[in-house]
Amino acid sequence: MSAEQDTVYIKGDKDVEVTKREVTLGDIVALECSNKTVIPKLKVLKILKIPDEGKHRYVISILKIIACIHEQYPGLDIQNMGETDIIVTYEDQKTSGAMIHVVKAVFVALLTFAGSAFAIMAFNNDASVSDLFAQVYEFVMGSKSDGFTIMEASYSVGITVGILVFFNHFGKKRFTVDPTPLEVQMRVYENEIQTTLVENASRKGAEMDVGKADYAGNPRP
Amino acid sequence: MLGKQIMLGILGLSSGVVIAGGLFALIVELGVIADFADRTHTADKILLYEDCAALGGVAGNLLSVFKPEMGYLGFLLPVFGLLSGIFVGCWAMALAEVLNVFPIFIRRLKIVRYSVVFILSMALGRGLGAFIYLLKRW
Repeated sequence: MSAEQDTVYIKGDKDVEVTKREVTLGDIVALECSNKTVIPKLKVLKILKIPDEGKHRYVISILKIIACIHEQYPGLDIQNMGETDIIVTYEDQKTSGAMIHVVKAVFVALLTFAGSAFAIMAFNNDASVSDLFAQVYEFVMGSKSDGFTIMEASYSVGITVGILVFFNHFGKKRFTVDPTPLEVQMRVYENEIQTTLVENASRKGAEMDVGKADYAGNPRP
Repeated sequence: MLGKQIMLGILGLSSGVVIAGGLFALIVELGVIADFADRTHTADKILLYEDCAALGGVAGNLLSVFKPEMGYLGFLLPVFGLLSGIFVGCWAMALAEVLNVFPIFIRRLKIVRYSVVFILSMALGRGLGAFIYLLKRW
């Protein structure tokens, strides 16, 4: 074929979820080539076969993927524009019911509510905020605080404003276009998990790389 | 007189803003809530969790500053106790994680296997410690 001089650009995400047991190149990476006839052929190239149902996770080196392509089309020039190690996760399609999902979400919602309430109360207690306000009130006004002054009221407003500014939204209403701190934190957490998976796999020698036996049918636990 | 009141108001308002920022940064940056969302596979609901954390903070602060009379809600105490216990437990461990306590001990003491046992004994130790502390009313 005329693909001999073509350059193929591939770009893969760090973490790919597949639902079919026959994993093809098109499932894992995005492809681009000036010769449009090459792309459909490459897309169906088999990379991995999941041995059975259940959860499986593989870490595939991009070199292994390039080797797979070269096996079929030795003349192709391949440029990787994406990740160098790709995590492929296969999970059974029976996702837990929507009901369970709601129950879990409600539980976590209650947990964060109670936890935050506890945290602020523990802080107020620990720092003796009420005593401090009474002292400041007496210092400025010269009369005893009755425990409910302008300071307590404005502090409560301040806490509310501070929390809303920090989280940058309430409900669906966002105050700026930035992602919220928890969204950022969530991505950080995911990235750390992915990095750990890749490094664990390469340390255990479980990564699918060139120069190793292809044990797709014989995965390590 | 009014000037002093206004000054106290500004003081209270700004201390509230700063403390809210600090405390919630500590909660979020330790990753407890992100961890909950990930464990339960409900990452699509994190905006809800943020709302709940915000509401919890506001409600908790109102309770601790104004100490309202609410004896009729006594039945909620065990629920609140359990939930805040779980939260603080996760928080304490997240703090230990961020400070790299585990990697350091595991490297120094050359613990390769049985790290599960250490985690379990840490959890039980913390639980027992908290129980005795509260039981003895220290």
